[in-house]
Amino acid sequence: MSASDANNASTGGYTLPTYPFRVPPEIEARAERRRYPVVIVGAGLAGLTLACDLATRGINTVVLDEDDTIGVRGASSRGIVYARKSLEVFRRLGIFDRIRAKGARWFVGRTLVNDDIVYEFDMSTVTSSEQPAFLNLQQFYIEWFLVDRIEALGRTDLRWKNRVVRAVQAADHVKVDVETPAGPYTLEAEWLIDASGLASAIREGFGLDTHSSKSTEDRWCITDVRFTKDLPQERWTWVEGASNEGRAIWQHPMADGVWRLDFQMAPNSDPAYVSHPDVARDRLRRHLGEGVEFELVWVGPYQYRAHLLDEFRHGRVFFIGDAAHVVSPFGARGGNTGIQDAENLAWKLALFLSGQAPERLLDTYSQERRAAAVENLEVTSRTARFLAPRSEGERTLRAAALALARKYPFARALINTGRLSAAHTYSSSTLVTSGGQCVQNVPIILADGKRACLIDLVSGTPCVFLALWSPSRTANASVVTGLRSLEADFPIKLLAVGTHPMVNSIRDADGTLARELRLEPGFVVLIRPDLHVAGVFAEGDLPALQAAATRTLGR
Amino acid sequence: MRTDPGIADPDVFYATLVAAQEGMTAAESAAFNARLVLLLANQIGDFATLLACIDAAKHSAD
Repeated sequence: MSASDANNASTGGYTLPTYPFRVPPEIEARAERRRYPVVIVGAGLAGLTLACDLATRGINTVVLDEDDTIGVRGASSRGIVYARKSLEVFRRLGIFDRIRAKGARWFVGRTLVNDDIVYEFDMSTVTSSEQPAFLNLQQFYIEWFLVDRIEALGRTDLRWKNRVVRAVQAADHVKVDVETPAGPYTLEAEWLIDASGLASAIREGFGLDTHSSKSTEDRWCITDVRFTKDLPQERWTWVEGASNEGRAIWQHPMADGVWRLDFQMAPNSDPAYVSHPDVARDRLRRHLGEGVEFELVWVGPYQYRAHLLDEFRHGRVFFIGDAAHVVSPFGARGGNTGIQDAENLAWKLALFLSGQAPERLLDTYSQERRAAAVENLEVTSRTARFLAPRSEGERTLRAAALALARKYPFARALINTGRLSAAHTYSSSTLVTSGGQCVQNVPIILADGKRACLIDLVSGTPCVFLALWSPSRTANASVVTGLRSLEADFPIKLLAVGTHPMVNSIRDADGTLARELRLEPGFVVLIRPDLHVAGVFAEGDLPALQAAATRTLGR
Repeated sequence: MRTDPGIADPDVFYATLVAAQEGMTAAESAAFNARLVLLLANQIGDFATLLACIDAAKHSAD
C-alpha cells in the first residue's frame, strides 16, 4: 500500500500517514509457526534503512513495529541533519531525489556570543560527492520516503502494530513472541535484527548492559517552531545566548518553514517546567523579539546520555542504531550512525545469505560499527564539555578561544559546537588490508558515455565489490587475465579507470574521481559495497589481490 | 619539547610579559594568559610537543 491510501494522523500542524494493521498469517491461517530468514524489529530510521537496503539486494524481510505510523509521537523532534554519507546511502536506495526536493539546504553557519558574530563559515564547496555535505529534514520525512520505497520494492512484509515482547535464542533461529491487536503469535527468525531503539525489550530480555553514563549533566529543551515570516536560511549557534541566561542556543532550518531551536538549560532544571508550552513561548519571545509570530510544533526536554553495548551481535541477534549505542546529539551522530550500521550489516547479510561469504563476515559488523560508535562517543563528549565548562578555569579557556576566534582563523577550529557525522575509517578492521576510509560518491562517465556516479556501481543486485584499475602502459595480457580471474572467483566487478581495450571502463567526469581515489597508474583499489576502501595493490600482484578479496569477504 | 634555553632575550621577554599584565585583576590576567597559551600553542602546532608541554606544566608545580 502507499501513503496515499493510508489513514492520517494529525500532529503539530502535520498530517502523517498511518498504516493499517493486517492480521499476520500466523494468526489468520492458524498456520504452524513460520520461520523467516531475516526479521527486523523497529521501523525507525535504522530498521527501515536496513529493510530497504536488503530489498534492493533482493532479500525479503519481515519488519515488526509496535506503532502504525512514522515518526515517534507524531511530528516530534528527532534527527534533523543528514550528513553526506547518509545521503549517499539514500541515493543508492532510491530516495535521495525526494529528500533533496523536500530538505532545507543551508550553507552559511554563524557562531555567536550574545549579539556578536564570533565567526561564520560557508559550506557550499566542501564536497566532491554528488550529494551535499548535509541536508536538514525532519526525521519522519525520511522514514516516510523509506516506507514508500520499501513498498515499491515489494520484498518486505511490514507489520504495523506488531509489538515484540520477547526473543529467545535457539540453536539455529530466534523465537520471537509478538503481540498484536488480533492477539499474540510466535515466529522464528534465522537472523533477528533489533532496531527498536534505546528502550529495546529484546536487549533488556537478554540482560545486556549498555553501560549508561551521564558524562554531562547537560539538559536541553528542544523546540520546533513554525514561523509566519522567514528567517535567513542559515544555521546560527550561540555558545552564549543572552536570551537564554548566557547558555547555548541552536537555530537550525528544517523543511516547511519549521525551525529547530534548542536551548541549553540550567543544570538541575525541572524538565516539566522548562518544556511547559507557556515557558517555552516566553523563552522564544525573548529570543526572537516581540512581534515575531510563531507556532509551536513540538517542545520536549532532553537530558544527554551515553550508552554503548559491549557487542553488537548476540547469538543470532544483531543490534543496530539506538538499540546498540546512544550519544548526545552534537554533530547529528545518532541517526546518521544508525543508517551506516544498517548499510554495513546489509551488504554483509546479502553476501552471506547468497552463499558468497561465511558467517564470520557477519561478526565483523560488531567489530566495525562498535569502533564507529566509540569514536562518536569520544567526539560528542568533547563537544559537550566545550559547551558546559565544569570549572572557572575551563570557562576562562573557552572565553580565550572565543575571543581569539573573532580575529584569528586558527582559534575558530577550537570552537566546538558539534563535529558533523562523517563516515568512520575502518583502519583496524580485520576485513581491511589497507585504508578503510570511505570514498565519496563522485560523478563518473560510463563506457557508453552515460553519466552516473560511483555508488551506482555498487547498487542493487548482485552485491559486488569494485576493483578499480588504473592500467599502466606496460600492462600485458597476463595482467588482464589475472585481474579478470577476480571476477570469476569473488563477487567483484573489475573496471578500468580511463580506457582499456579488454576491460570495461569508467571515466572521470570532472577530475574528482582521480582526486578521491589517488590511484597511480599500475594500481588497483578494492572498494567495498559501502564505498570503503579495502586495500590498494599493484596490478601485477594477483596473490595480494586474491588474499585481500578473501580477507574482506571473511572467507 | 625543547628545554634548553631558546628564548632570544629572556630578561626582555619576561619584562614584556609582566608589563602586559600590569594593572590587571587576577581574572583579567588569567584570561590574558589563556589567550596567550592558545596563540603560542598554534605556533608550535605539533601535538606531541604540546602534550609534553602540558605534561611538564602540570608536573613542575610539585
